[in-house]
Amino acid sequence: MDLIYEVISGWAKAGYLPSIFEHTFMIRGLLAAIIIGPLLGAMGTVVVTKKLSFFTQTIGNAAMSGVAIGLLFGEPIEGTYAGLYGFCLIIALLMTFVKNRSRLSNDTIIGVVLAQVLGIGIIMMIVVTSQFNIHQVEGILFGSLITLNDVDLITLAAASLIVGILFAYNFNRVMLSGFNPILAKARGISPVFFEYVFVTLMTVVVVASLKLIGALLVLVLIVVPAAAAQNIVSNLRQFVWVSVVFSTISTTLGLLLSGLLPVPSGAVIVLVSSILFYGSLLLKPILSKGGISQGEV
Amino acid sequence: MSQEKVMDNNSREGNNLLEVRDLSLTLGGNRILENVNMDVKHGHIHALIGPNGAGKTTLIRSIMGGMPHKGTVRFLFGDNGRIGYVPQLLEFDHSVPITVFDFLFLMLRKTPLFVSRRKPMRSEILEILSATECEHLIDRGVGYLSGGEFRRVLLAQALVPKPELLLLDEPASNVDEVGARQFEQMLIDLKEEQGHSILMVSHDMQTILRIADQVTAINRTVTYDGSPDDLSLSDLLINVRPDVAKS
Repeated sequence: MDLIYEVISGWAKAGYLPSIFEHTFMIRGLLAAIIIGPLLGAMGTVVVTKKLSFFTQTIGNAAMSGVAIGLLFGEPIEGTYAGLYGFCLIIALLMTFVKNRSRLSNDTIIGVVLAQVLGIGIIMMIVVTSQFNIHQVEGILFGSLITLNDVDLITLAAASLIVGILFAYNFNRVMLSGFNPILAKARGISPVFFEYVFVTLMTVVVVASLKLIGALLVLVLIVVPAAAAQNIVSNLRQFVWVSVVFSTISTTLGLLLSGLLPVPSGAVIVLVSSILFYGSLLLKPILSKGGISQGEV
Repeated sequence: MSQEKVMDNNSREGNNLLEVRDLSLTLGGNRILENVNMDVKHGHIHALIGPNGAGKTTLIRSIMGGMPHKGTVRFLFGDNGRIGYVPQLLEFDHSVPITVFDFLFLMLRKTPLFVSRRKPMRSEILEILSATECEHLIDRGVGYLSGGEFRRVLLAQALVPKPELLLLDEPASNVDEVGARQFEQMLIDLKEEQGHSILMVSHDMQTILRIADQVTAINRTVTYDGSPDDLSLSDLLINVRPDVAKS
C-alpha cells in the first residue's frame, strides 16, 4: 500500500494532481471513491427499478447498531466489521423475508424499521461506550475520511470486486425480476431468490462505503446518479453506463472538494451528485430534441 | 400437489398435451378452485372462460406451478418442453428506460446486457419480433407501447424458444377492436402454420366462437367442457357473465 501512496503523492508533488493528494488520507479516499463510485452507480439502476431506495437507507441506519454490537463483542472502534456486516445483513434479509411472507407493503415494513434501527443503535452506543461521543456518531452518519484506514480500503476493494462480479453475473435476472416478477417466473427465474441475492450484495456495498459516504448519505449516492441518468437515457445499456459515470464523478469530485473545504466527504459527494441530477433535468429537453431519447440501440 | 412432465411418444394433433385432474386450491380460507378437470389437446386453441373471480388466472398460475394446489397437473411432453406465457396485466414502472430490445435481451440472455455486443443480438431479436409483426418496435421504450403493441411483444417473447404450450391470459384485454381481430388472426396462424397449441383465458365471446377448438368454462369448478360448436351465444353468456344472462 505504501508504494501506491508514494507514487500518487509523487504525482501530487510534481503538480499532476492537486497538492491535497500529498496526504495519505486523501489518497486512500481517492482510491475508495474510484472503487466504490462505479459500483454504486451500476447497482443504483436496480435500486431505482425495484424501488428499494428507502430499503437502502434502512441498511445505512442499521449501521449504528452494527457498530455498537461490534464494540460489545470487543471489536476495535476503527473496524467493527463483524458487527456492521452481521447486523446490517440480518436486518436486510429479515426485511426481505417479512416482505415476502406478509401482506405488508415494502413501504410499511421500511417505515417500521427505518428509524428503529437508528434509535436502538444510538442507545446501544451510549450503553456500550458509557458516554455519548458525538464524533463517533458523526463519523458513521456523515462519513469520515480521517478514520478511513488501510484495512478499510482493502476490505472495500475486496468487497467491491466480489460484489461487482456477482452483480454483473446476475444483472439480467435481477433486473428482469425487478421489472416484472411474473414474467421472470415464467422464464424459470425465481424473483424471490434474486431479491435475496441483490439485497445481500447491496448491503455489503453500503456497509463498505460507510466510512467514505456515511450512513445517512449513502442512499443519495445510490439513488441520485441513477435518477439523473434516467432523465437523459433511452435504453438500459445507457442507463447503467451513465449512472456509473455520474456516480464516479460524484465520488471523486466530491472527495477532491472535501479535501479543499472543511466539510465531511459524504456531504460534498452528495452535493455534487445533486448538481448532476438538476443538470440532467436541464439537459433532458436538449437531448430529446437531438434524438438521443428516441431509443436507438 | 403434483406437477409432472412425461415423455410424449405420440404428439399428433388431437392427443392430450396437458391433463389437469382434481385440482383444488384454497387461499386465505376461501376455496378458489374445486376438483377442476381439464384436458388440452395438441394443435388446439383451447379457451378457458368464466365470470370475473371464477379462478381462471389462478388455474393458469397453478398449471405453471406458481400456486400450491391439490390434484395433479400433467404435461405430456418431455423435460425439454417449455410453456410460453403471456400474462394478463403487466404492471411495471413506465419510467424505467427499458426498450423492447432490452426487454427481450434480459429474458433470453445471461451475458450482462451492459457489456454485451448488441449487433449480433439485434438481428436475432428482430427475427423474434417478426413472428408477431412488430420488428418496428425494437427501439421503442416498453413504457411507450400501446396495449396492442405490448401484447404483440409479449406474444413474441413467449414463442422463444418454441413452446409446447402457449398460455395466454386474456390476450385481447385493453386492445381495440381492430387490434383484437389482428391478434385473433395471429393466433390462428400460429396454430395452423406453426402447429402451436394454445390455452387462452378469454372474455370475448365472439372470439371464442370464431377461433376456439375446445372450451372449458369454470366458476370455481368446471361448468362446461366441450366444443364451442355445441355452445350458443346465450350459453356462453351464462358461463361468462351470469349476472347479465339472468337479467
